[in-house]
Amino acid sequence: MENPFQETLIQKNRAEPCSVVIFGATGDLTHRKLIPALYNIAACGDLPPQFKVVGFARREKSDDVFRSELETANKKHSRQAHTQELWSGFSQSIHYHQSEFQDVEGYKALGRLLDQFDVERGTTANRLFYLASAPEFFKPILEHLKAAGLHVPPQGKWARVVCEKPFGKDLATARGLNEAVANTFAEKDTYRIDHYLGKETAQNIMVLRFANSIFEPNWNSRYIDHIQITCAENLGMEGGRGGYYDTAGALRDMVQNHLFQLLSLVAMEPPTDLSADAVRDEKVKVIRSLRPLIGPNAVGQNVIRAQYTTGSVDGVARPGYRQEDRVNPESQTEAYVALRLFVDTWRWQGVPFYIRVGKQLPKKATEISVHFKRPPQVPFATSKLIDNSENTLVIRIQPDEGMALRILCKQPGQALSMQPVKMDFRYSSSFGKASPEAYERLLLDAMAGDATLFARRDEVENAWKFIDEIQAAWHKSDTPPPMCEYPAGSWGPKEADQLLAQNGHEWRLL
Amino acid sequence: MPFPALSENDLARLGMEVPLARVDKSLAELWENDSAKTRASLINFAIYTESASDLSRNMELLEAITAEHACRALLILNLPDAPAPNARAFINALCRPYQGQQVVCSEQVAFILEQATPQAVQNIVFAHLDSDLPLIVLWQGTLTRNFDERLYSHIDTLIVDSSLWQNPAIELSALTTALESETADFDVRDLSWTRSHFLRTSLATCFQDARALEHLPAITQIEITHASEHRMAALLLGAWIAQRLGGTPSSNLTFPRANGPSIQFTLTSVSTGPSLQKLHLTGPNVQIQISRHSDSRFVQVCTSCPNHKTQEIYPADVETDAELIGEQLSRAGGRTLYSSLIPQLRELLK
Ligand SMILES: NC(=O)c1ccc[n+]([C@@H]2O[C@H](COP(=O)([O-])OP(=O)(O)OC[C@H]3O[C@@H](n4cnc5c(N)ncnc54)[C@H](OP(=O)(O)O)[C@@H]3O)[C@@H](O)[C@H]2O)c1
Repeated sequence: MENPFQETLIQKNRAEPCSVVIFGATGDLTHRKLIPALYNIAACGDLPPQFKVVGFARREKSDDVFRSELETANKKHSRQAHTQELWSGFSQSIHYHQSEFQDVEGYKALGRLLDQFDVERGTTANRLFYLASAPEFFKPILEHLKAAGLHVPPQGKWARVVCEKPFGKDLATARGLNEAVANTFAEKDTYRIDHYLGKETAQNIMVLRFANSIFEPNWNSRYIDHIQITCAENLGMEGGRGGYYDTAGALRDMVQNHLFQLLSLVAMEPPTDLSADAVRDEKVKVIRSLRPLIGPNAVGQNVIRAQYTTGSVDGVARPGYRQEDRVNPESQTEAYVALRLFVDTWRWQGVPFYIRVGKQLPKKATEISVHFKRPPQVPFATSKLIDNSENTLVIRIQPDEGMALRILCKQPGQALSMQPVKMDFRYSSSFGKASPEAYERLLLDAMAGDATLFARRDEVENAWKFIDEIQAAWHKSDTPPPMCEYPAGSWGPKEADQLLAQNGHEWRLL
Repeated sequence: MPFPALSENDLARLGMEVPLARVDKSLAELWENDSAKTRASLINFAIYTESASDLSRNMELLEAITAEHACRALLILNLPDAPAPNARAFINALCRPYQGQQVVCSEQVAFILEQATPQAVQNIVFAHLDSDLPLIVLWQGTLTRNFDERLYSHIDTLIVDSSLWQNPAIELSALTTALESETADFDVRDLSWTRSHFLRTSLATCFQDARALEHLPAITQIEITHASEHRMAALLLGAWIAQRLGGTPSSNLTFPRANGPSIQFTLTSVSTGPSLQKLHLTGPNVQIQISRHSDSRFVQVCTSCPNHKTQEIYPADVETDAELIGEQLSRAGGRTLYSSLIPQLRELLK
């Protein structure tokens, strides 16, 4: 028998009853993102009934201490106001389970705890295992989950796993991890987080392209000159970030995942339907169509890596990258990377995609800009004006989410002179309401079984395959391309400007 | 010409008075003089009222709505029983802070009309729309007067509040006529239906559990406790539940079912508190109790049947008109279940 009242639930993804186990639950991510996200899901009435969260970590602590630590964090980080009334009910669903990640007994005890919840519920529930630990623990956690039999869902229910980033540090480790996941969970039950995909504006890219008839006909090499994707950070290695960052670098930390996801959304063909696999099939084709950059020459010609030197951001003096806390003084890790990429498909033949990402840049901004070709002839314009006549569509991912279109207009007056003007749409000025946080959307989707906004195995591996070639040219060749420099607070190294100048382009001034 | 029901103070709150023919020009001037303000608009949102005493409440309503939904706001007060025809217009910018310093503003145009005919009302609306944006109308007057086909054939969404209707049966019949008209293509939203949104979601969530669902066909009693002015919200909720359970509504509040026992429906009215306060569903082996306390933003939901007892807390429905309308404006378009309940509701009101 079907629930006859279900029709009222179909507006959003509806979570099914479940227990969520967070591995690494005393960590920063759980406090700042995961618990506030679950609390906000509860505040919107979207949490399934008889919901349970189990925090799994090493330190000894009671449920009450754990709840009160999370309460303090939730008050600080929750999107919607923290109310005692909701928290007191919600927090009763939170439990702490002390165990080492490597201790199989701890997983067996976890199994007994989950069974006990099922007894209290009077029914078995679904199980979502969230790997929010450091990535080196992903494998042992998965193996122990399997050893304890927790990967097998109760009869008629599901067991899923959510993996945090970073998903591997190269193709080999990502494959190893994927093997470990595949040994434990089916691909359909595996949810690899890329929180960029949970952002409203990233989701809006597909709507913009496929729900508006004016863009798609122009969305190809005939009308588009080039595309730029920028992810700028105005911070460096504050808060001990250098320790992890120096082992990863901009290319692995940002490009392999977030920026390639944005690139895929911008460049993909229309999916046949909106199912998770149809969308991801199209996205992965973009990554597979990237023209490979193999060897130090090709990499040197198309990829610029750099570190910042001392400078200042917002009037505050900043150290150089190698002087940062927890960074190796002889580090060969890039804090900035710029790439010129080509997607070898009919649609994108000859269109450069420029990607840049870096730390200690003048401001924090993530944007995609689509630069249209100039009109073949502008009868009433001087050559200077024609230079300045390209239409640009900008999709701002964060902050100040929105879109802007740059067009040419006639300046008022007798003479026929033109000037670029900007049509600007800002989410926050048009919609007063704050969007849900990316983690709210993603957690709800994982509970509801919608994998559209999660990375699939082949997407991750193909992205690593591409990235590995660049890493090899940098770190394994005898003639590695140079590590460039830029002063903190500037828009990156001059070599990155030259990269675009070769094609007669320049970076958009953000 | 003075407005007997309105003080100069009330009129001053509407903004700057401008000649009717100069509304658009004056709006443009409003922006020319202040570069720090950004005008934003996603919809045309019009309130039509025939009650002068609601003017101040409506201004507050627009202020609250524009804080979250940038729009061109039109406030139309028509006094059909005024002694002679007259029309005055006032413009205002409703602004809210944005990123610290800047302000984002919606334009508000208020009209005070006396003895306006349906044509005059339409003309006022049509002459002052922000072009290409959807038209959403909150109609506070009776649908039997001035709610003319030439107007509603251009409306995208009509918002009504059936709790304010003097004679719901007549209003529903006028609404049905409009909805069935060939030229009409609007969605209708009734705030009385919105008042039970989260309650319905909580109810649906209870029956996501198979053990509760098993007992659903045996439900024989539905009890709803509502605030006295929200009988319509209770009737709509009852009509929906009965419809979902396969019952046929009748005015004696007993709903016979083709495949099962009849459902007895009880409404209890109380003088204070939230619009919907209790919803109990009872059958031989099952009891669902959803209750809301006056000062709470949450509902307590207790499910009890053999081998299954739970107690959960879910968000309660919003209460103020601004919040209710805000909910509707946040939703994508498309017909709601409400239209399909109108026939049931008309049966109940017979
Ligand atoms: N923080 C963020 O904003 C953020 C953003 C995106 C992605 N991520 C990713 O999310 C993951 C977690 O990040 P985080 O910042 O939350 O890490 P974190 O603050 O370092 O937390 C690590 C957690 O793992 C637990 N742990 C470590 N070793 C353990 C062991 N042997 N046995 C049991 N528990 C152990 C710790 O428990 P004890 O405290 O009990 O030792 C703690 O709960 C990482 O993969 C990170 O890349 C984080």
